[in-house]
Amino acid sequence: MNRPFGVDLGTPSGIALALLPEIVVIACALVLMLVAAWRHGDERAERLVGQLSLVGLIAALATVIWFWASNLYPSRTVPEMITLDPFRYALDVVFLLGAIGTVLLSLGYLGRERILVPEYYVLLLFATAGMMLMAGASDLLVLFLGLEVMSVSVYVLAGIQRRSAASAEAALKYFLLGAFASGFLLYGIALLYGATGTTNLYLINLQLRGGAGDHGLMLLFGVALLLVGLGFKVSAAPFHMWAPDVYDGSPTPVTGYMATAVKAAGFAALVRVLITGFGDAPGIWQHLVFWLAILTMLTGNLVALAQRNVKRMLAYSSIAHAGYLLVAVACGTTLGGSALVFYVLAYTLMTLGAFGVLSVAGREGERDVRIDDLSGLAKRRPWLALAMAIFMLSLLGFPGTIGFIGKWYILTAALGAGQQALAIVLVLTSVVSAGYYLPVVMAMYMKDETEPGTIERAGYRLGAGARAVVFAAALLILAFGVWPSQALSLANQGGRALRPAPPPVIVLPKD
Amino acid sequence: MTAFLNAIGYGHWVLDALLVLPLLAALLVMVTPERHAKHVAFWATVVEFVVSIGLWWAFDPHMSGMQFEVIRPWIAAYGISYHVGVDGISLFMVLLSTLTMPLAVLGSWKYITSKERAYYALMLVLTTGMLGVFMALDLFLFYVFWELMLIPMYFIIGVWGGSRRLYAAIKFFIYTFVGSLLMLVAILFVYMTVGAHTGVYSFAYGHILANAGLVRQWTFWLFGAFALAFAIKVPMFPFHTWLPDAHVEAPTAGSVILAGILLKMGTYGFLRFAIPLFPHAAFDPTVSAVVVTLAVVGIIYGALVAMVQPDFKKLIAYSSVSHLGFVMLGIWAVTVQSVSGAIIIMINHGISTGALFLLVGMIYERRHSREIAVYGGIARAMPMFAAILTLVSLSSIGLPGTNGFVGEFLVLLGAFQTHPWAAGIATSGVIFAAAYLLWAIQRVLFNREPDAENAKLPDLSRRELVVLAPLVACILWIGLYPQPILHRIEATTSGWVAQMRHGMPDAGLAHGPAGEDAP
Amino acid sequence: MPPSVGWIWLVVLLPFAGFVANGLLSFLKPSAKRAVSTIGVGVLVATFVVAVVVVLGVARDPNDAPYLIHLWNWLPVGDLNIGVTFQVDQLSSVMLMVITGVGTLIHIFSIGYMREDDGYARYFAYLNLFIFFMLILVLGASFPLLFVGWEGVGLCSYLLIGFWYTEKANADAGKKAFIMNRIGDFGFLIAMFMIYRATGTLNFTEVFSAAPQVFQVAGPAITAITLFLFLGCTGKSAQIPLYTWLPDAMAGPTPVSALIHAATMVTAGVYLVARTNMLFAMAPVSSAVVATVGAVTALWAASIALKQWDIKKVLAYSTVSQLGYMFLGVGVGAYASGVFHLVTHAFFKALLFLGSGSVIHAMHKAYHHTHRHDDAQDMRNMGGLRHWMPWTTGVMWVATLAIAGVPGFSGFFSKDEILAAAFARGQEHWLFYLLWVLGTVAAFLTAFYMARLMLYTFHGPNRTGEAEREHLHEAPWVMTGPLLVLAAGSAIGGLLNLPEVLPGAGWLEHWLAPVTSGSGLYLPEAALAHGTEWTLLLVATLLALGGLYAAWHFLKPEALTTAAEAPAETGFGLVLNRKYYIDEIYQGVIVRSLVWLSDRLLWRTVDKGVIDGAAVNGSAWALRGLGWVGSLLESGAVGWYVVVFVTGVLGLLYFVAR
Repeated sequence: MNRPFGVDLGTPSGIALALLPEIVVIACALVLMLVAAWRHGDERAERLVGQLSLVGLIAALATVIWFWASNLYPSRTVPEMITLDPFRYALDVVFLLGAIGTVLLSLGYLGRERILVPEYYVLLLFATAGMMLMAGASDLLVLFLGLEVMSVSVYVLAGIQRRSAASAEAALKYFLLGAFASGFLLYGIALLYGATGTTNLYLINLQLRGGAGDHGLMLLFGVALLLVGLGFKVSAAPFHMWAPDVYDGSPTPVTGYMATAVKAAGFAALVRVLITGFGDAPGIWQHLVFWLAILTMLTGNLVALAQRNVKRMLAYSSIAHAGYLLVAVACGTTLGGSALVFYVLAYTLMTLGAFGVLSVAGREGERDVRIDDLSGLAKRRPWLALAMAIFMLSLLGFPGTIGFIGKWYILTAALGAGQQALAIVLVLTSVVSAGYYLPVVMAMYMKDETEPGTIERAGYRLGAGARAVVFAAALLILAFGVWPSQALSLANQGGRALRPAPPPVIVLPKD
Repeated sequence: MTAFLNAIGYGHWVLDALLVLPLLAALLVMVTPERHAKHVAFWATVVEFVVSIGLWWAFDPHMSGMQFEVIRPWIAAYGISYHVGVDGISLFMVLLSTLTMPLAVLGSWKYITSKERAYYALMLVLTTGMLGVFMALDLFLFYVFWELMLIPMYFIIGVWGGSRRLYAAIKFFIYTFVGSLLMLVAILFVYMTVGAHTGVYSFAYGHILANAGLVRQWTFWLFGAFALAFAIKVPMFPFHTWLPDAHVEAPTAGSVILAGILLKMGTYGFLRFAIPLFPHAAFDPTVSAVVVTLAVVGIIYGALVAMVQPDFKKLIAYSSVSHLGFVMLGIWAVTVQSVSGAIIIMINHGISTGALFLLVGMIYERRHSREIAVYGGIARAMPMFAAILTLVSLSSIGLPGTNGFVGEFLVLLGAFQTHPWAAGIATSGVIFAAAYLLWAIQRVLFNREPDAENAKLPDLSRRELVVLAPLVACILWIGLYPQPILHRIEATTSGWVAQMRHGMPDAGLAHGPAGEDAP
Repeated sequence: MPPSVGWIWLVVLLPFAGFVANGLLSFLKPSAKRAVSTIGVGVLVATFVVAVVVVLGVARDPNDAPYLIHLWNWLPVGDLNIGVTFQVDQLSSVMLMVITGVGTLIHIFSIGYMREDDGYARYFAYLNLFIFFMLILVLGASFPLLFVGWEGVGLCSYLLIGFWYTEKANADAGKKAFIMNRIGDFGFLIAMFMIYRATGTLNFTEVFSAAPQVFQVAGPAITAITLFLFLGCTGKSAQIPLYTWLPDAMAGPTPVSALIHAATMVTAGVYLVARTNMLFAMAPVSSAVVATVGAVTALWAASIALKQWDIKKVLAYSTVSQLGYMFLGVGVGAYASGVFHLVTHAFFKALLFLGSGSVIHAMHKAYHHTHRHDDAQDMRNMGGLRHWMPWTTGVMWVATLAIAGVPGFSGFFSKDEILAAAFARGQEHWLFYLLWVLGTVAAFLTAFYMARLMLYTFHGPNRTGEAEREHLHEAPWVMTGPLLVLAAGSAIGGLLNLPEVLPGAGWLEHWLAPVTSGSGLYLPEAALAHGTEWTLLLVATLLALGGLYAAWHFLKPEALTTAAEAPAETGFGLVLNRKYYIDEIYQGVIVRSLVWLSDRLLWRTVDKGVIDGAAVNGSAWALRGLGWVGSLLESGAVGWYVVVFVTGVLGLLYFVAR
C-alpha cells in the first residue's frame, strides 16, 4: 500500500475528496437525466443512456479502488461523518459491481419488455449513490440520508414497468411498508440521540464505554427500532413479508438489484452501526440479532421449499441468505464483519447471475417461470444451464464455489464468537436449501422438456450484456471458490476497519 | 523395481500426478468426439492405474507414518494447505480406487449410450475426488474432496440412472449432505479451539491430532458430528436407507464405484479422523457398546433383509450393509487382527461387490431386468458367467480360500478377543450370508428356465471377461496368499491399535504449515 | 524326516491340477471325454501312488512325532501366524489311504456311470477338486487350514449334489446341504476363536501342548470349546439335529454319494474329534454328549431306514446311523475304534452305494429304452435283479454281511469294538450301558433293513415291467471292477484291528497310539474281562443273524406291488416313511418364520416403513409441510403484512426491554 495521506474533512475540498466516488455517480446521473429528458421514449436513446451510466459506474469504481490503494485517512482528530476505510471501499465495490451487472442485464431486457424509460438508469445511479453513502456514513443522519436516497429510487424502479399491474402493486407495497419502516428507523435514531446526545457512531461508542452497564430504556428502544428499520431493508424475518411479492412483481433485473445491492447496503449500515457504534455493548442487541437470524434462516429456507415459481423461490432464498448474513452480524466481532463483507460479495455474484439467467428465461410468461419450465435446458442451452447449475451449487454452498468459502468464513466467525447454536442452525437450514436448489439442477439436466417448445417460447436469447454478466459471475464464483486468498484478505481489511484500533482520539467540537 | 522408482523420483510426484491426471483427462474427454470419449477415458484410467501401482513397491512397509507427503500452501492466511500423503491404511484404498476405475469404465462401455462425453468426464472427476479423500492430510482439503465427489455421483445417478433416478439422486445427496455439514462445523470448531490455545491456526491433520486433547471437554459432540457423517457413508444401520435406492438406480459403473469405493470412505473416515481425534469418545464404554451393537445389528439385519429382496441389485446393496458391519466391528474391537481384517474386508468388499454389480449389469444388458424372478437356468446358456458369479458369491459368503474368508476370519477372531458376545453373534452372519447368496444364485443360474429367452442368452464376451479377470484374480490371490498385503498394512494397523489402546493419539505425524496472520 | 514325506505337497497338487485341467476342458472342449477321464483318473492314481510312498515313509520311520511341512505363510497378523502347513502323522496317513484309495476306485467307476452325461468334464473337475479339499482337510496342521478343507469339501458337495441343476429339487438339496453345514461351521468358528483366546495359537501341535496348562479338566472353557467343535461335526457328519441334509444329498450322482456322502467327507467330523481327542478327553461332559448324540442318531436313522423305498435313501439313513456309531466310539474315548469303523465303513458303504449305482444305472437304461418315466431308484420297481446282475448281487451281499456285523466281516469287528468300549465305560456311569443298549438295538435294525434292501432289490419276482426286463443287464467291467476291490476290503478289512481276544489284535490301535496318547491321561482305565468280551461278541453275532433272519422270515417280496399301485403307508409305518416329519418341522418352524421375519417385519415394516418412510421421507414431508404453511401466511394483503410487522416490532421491544 502507498504511504497513507491525511484528508482534512474540515475543508470543502477535503469533504469533496472524501465523497468523490458518490459525486462521480451523482454527477453522471444528473448528466444522464438531461440526456433522457432531451431524447425521450426512443430505444436507441435509452441504450445510449444505459451505456453512459456504465461509464459513470466504472469511473466511480476506479475512484474507489484508487482510494483503497492510496490509503487515505481523516487527518483531524474529531469524529467525522464520513469514513475513509476499507469497509466502505469494499462495500462500494460490491454496490458498483451490482449496479454494473444490473445495467448490463437491463440493456437487453428493457428493450425486450418494451420499457422505454431512460430514467431507469438515472434512478439506478441515484440508488447506488445512496448505498455508497450508507456504507461510508459514520453518522446516523448521513446513514439515513443515504438510505432514503436509495429507497425512493428503488420504489420507483420496482414500478417502472407501467403496463404490468403486478409491477405497480409491487412498487406500492414496497413504498408503503418501506415508508413505515423508515419511520421506525428515524424514530430509533431520535431515541438514540435522546439517550446519548449524539448521532455519531464513534461518540455513541465512547458514551457506552464511559457509562458501561446502565443502559436506559430509551437507548434500548432506540437500538431495537434501528434494527427494525434496517431489518426491513435486509428483509429479515419477521420484516420480510414484502420481499416475495415485490421481488416477484418487479422487472427481473430490478429484482436482482434489490436482492443484491440493496440488501448489501442494508447490511453495510447494520453492521457499521452495531459493531462500530454498539460493539462494546453487545448485550443490548446480540440476542435480538440472534433470534432474527434464526427466524430468518428458518422462514427463508422452509418457505422456499414450497415454491414452484423460480423467481419466488429465489426471493425466499435471498431471505435465507439474509439469515446467514445476520449470523455474521450476530458474532459482533470484526471477524464477523469480514465474513459479512466476503459473503456479501459472494452472494451478489451468485444471485445476480441467477437473476441474469431468469431475466432471459422470463419473457411473456415472466410472472410464472416454474421450475419445470427449465426442464431440458441443458440440452438446448448447455452453457446457460451450466452457469445456472454453478449459481445453484454456489448458493447451496458447495465446495469449489465462492458460496462455500463464504459459508465457511461465516461459520468460522460464528464459532470464533462462541455462537455454536447459530452455526448449527445455519448448516441444518443449508441442508434444507438443497431441497429447492437441486430441483433446478435436476430440471435442467435430468428431466426432458415437459411440453415441447417451452424453452423456445421462453426465448433464452442472451443479450451481449446479460451474457457477459452471467458468465463473468460464473467464472468469478469458481475462481474465488478455488483461490479465495486475495478476496479473503481484502474482506478481512474491511472487517477490521469496523473497530478502528486505537479508536480516534475524541475531542468534542466546541459549538 | 524400487531402485528404478527412486531413480525417477517417483515418491515426489506420484500423489500429485494421481490427483491431476484424471482432471486433465476429463478436459481431454470433453473435447474429444462423442464416440471416442470412452476410449480416452479408458486409457486415462489405465494410465492412472499404472502410475499408482508403483506405490506397491515404493511404499515402505516398516513405516507406520505417512509416506510420499506433499505440502503446498493454499489459503495460507487460515492455515489451509494442500497436504497429501499415504500410509498403510490409505495405500490400499488408493490402489483399490485406481484398479476399480478402468473396470468401471469398461463396465459402462455398452451400458452408457447417451451424453457419453459428460459421463466419462464425470467419472474422471470422481476419481480425483475419491483419491483426494484417501490422501488428504488437511482437514479442510479432506472436507473439500469429501464433498466434491458428491456432485459427479449425483449426476451419474440422476442423469444415467434407472426409472426412479431423481428420487435416488437427491436422497443420496441430501443424506450425505446432512452428515458432512455437521462434520464441517465440528472441523471448524476444533480448528478454532486448537488455534486459540496454541496460537497456531492450522487445518493440518498432524497439528490437530497432536493437540486434540485441547477439545477434550467437547469430545463427545465433536465425535458425534464426525461419526454421523461417516456412519451415513458406511452406511451403518439405521442410516443405510439411501444405499438401496442409490445402488438400484445408479448405472452399473455407478453402483460399482458406490459399493467399491465410496462406502469405504466412511470406514476410512473413522479410522483416520473420527477415532484418532476423539479416542475418549470413541472408546467410551457406552459409545463403543452402541457402535458395536449397531455393527452387529447391521450384519444380521442386512443379511436377513437381503435374503428377501426380489431385485438383485437391492440384494447386493443390503449385503453391503452386512459386510460393512463386519468392518465396523473389526475397527471397534481394536486388535491388530481385527483392524487388519477390517481393512482387508474393505478391499474385499470393493472387489467382490464390485464384481457382483458388474455381473448383474452384464445380464441386465442382455435381459433388461434386475428382477431375480426373470432369470433361472441360465447356467446352461452362460457357463462362464455362472462359474464366475458362483466364485464371486462364494468369496462374498466368505468361503475359505477366497479373499472373503481372510477378512471375516481376522475380524471375528480379533473381535472375539475383546467383544466375545458381539463377535459370537456376528459369526452367525456367515450362515445368513450363505442363505441369501446361494438362494439368489440358485434362482438366477439354476432351476428350470422360466422362459425360452434365458436359454439363448450369449455367454460373456471377451471384453466382459477382461473386466472380470482382474477381480477374480484378486479374489483368489488375497484368499490364498494375503501376506504381502497384510505385511504392508501391519505396521500402520499395529501402530494405530497401540495408540488407541494407549488412549491418546500421539503427535507422530507431520505438521502442516500454520497460518501466520490468524483470524 | 524321511525324504518321501517331503513329497506330500505333490499329493495335494495333483488333484488340483486335475481340477484345473478338467475345468478348462469343460469350457473349451466338453466333448473330449477320453482326455477328461484320462486326466481325472490319472491324477487320482498318481496321487494314490505318491500317498502310499509317503505313508510307507511314515511307517518305516521309528520316530512318532508328526511331520510338519511348511509351504508358505498364510495369515501372519500380529502374534497370529497361520501357515499353509501340512501335518503328516499316523492319523492323517490312515485318512490319506482311505481318501486316495477309495477315491481312485470311485473315479474309475464314474467313467462308466457318467459316460452319457453332458457335464462329464465338469463332473470330473468337481470330483478332483473334492479330493484336493479333502486332502487339505486331513493334512492341515492348524484349525484354520483344516477349516479350508472342511468348507471346501462342503462346496464340492454343494456343487455335486446340484450337479443336475436344472431340477429345482437338486439345486434345493445342494443349498440345504451347504447351509446346514454352515450352521455347523458357525460352531467350528466359535470354537477356533475360543481356542485362540485361551492358547494364543491355532496350530494343532501348539494347542495340544498348551492345553494341559491353560485348561482345567472338565472346566467350562474346554467343555464349551469341544461342544462348539462338535456342533461343527453334527453338520458335516449329519448327526442329530443337523442330519436332514444327507438323505436329500442323494440327489447327486450315485458315485458322489459313495465318495462324499458315505466314504470320506461325512466322516470328517469323526476325524476332527479323533484329531482333537485330547481336548475331548479333557471334557468328559462333551464326550458324553458326543457319545449320546451318536448312539441316538444311530438308532433314530436306522429306524427311518426301515421304511424307505428309495434304495439310495435307505443307504443314506444307514450312513447317518453308521456315523452315529463312529461318534459313539470316539465319544466313549475309543478313538482308534471310531477311526477303525470309519475305515471299514468307507469300504462297505462305498461298495453299497456303487452297487446301488450299477443297479440304478441298469434300471435307467431299461426305462430309457422304453421311454418310461418311472422311478429307477424305487425298490418296489426292482426285484429279482440277481438274474441279470450276478456280480453286483454278490458284492452287495458281501457289503450287507459286513455292515450287518456278521462275524468275520469287517463291520463285525469295528462295530463290536465300539459297543464293547461303550459297555466298558458302563462301570463308571449307567449312561454308557444305556448307550450300549441303543447301539445294540440299532445293530439289529441295521441287519434287518439291509436284508430288506437286498431282498426287495435282488430277490423275489421282478417288478420292473415286461418290456423293460429285456434291457436289464450287468454293468460294464469298469464299474464292476472297483466293486470287487471294495468287496475284498469289506470282507477282510477287519484284520486291521482284531479284538483283544484274538491273536495279532489291535494293529490299528497301536498305529494310532502316538496320536491318541495325549488323551490317555484323562481317560479312565476301562478294560473288559475276556469273559464279558466273549459274551458281547456272542450277543452281537446273534443280533446280526437275528436281524437278517427276521427280515428273511417276515418280509414277503412276492406280495410287493410296484411304486405306481403301492398302497398308502399307515400308522407308525407312515411316520417312519415320512422321517418323523422332521423336514416338515424344520421347514415350517425355522425357515418359514425366518423368511416371514425378514420379509414382512424387517424389510417391509422396519426398513421401508419406519426408517425410510417415517424417519427419512417423513422428515422431508414435514419440512415441506411447514414451508407450505409458511407460504400461506404470504397472503399478499398489505394490511396483514403490517400486522406481522408490528408484531415483530413489539416482540423486539419486549425482548430488549426485558
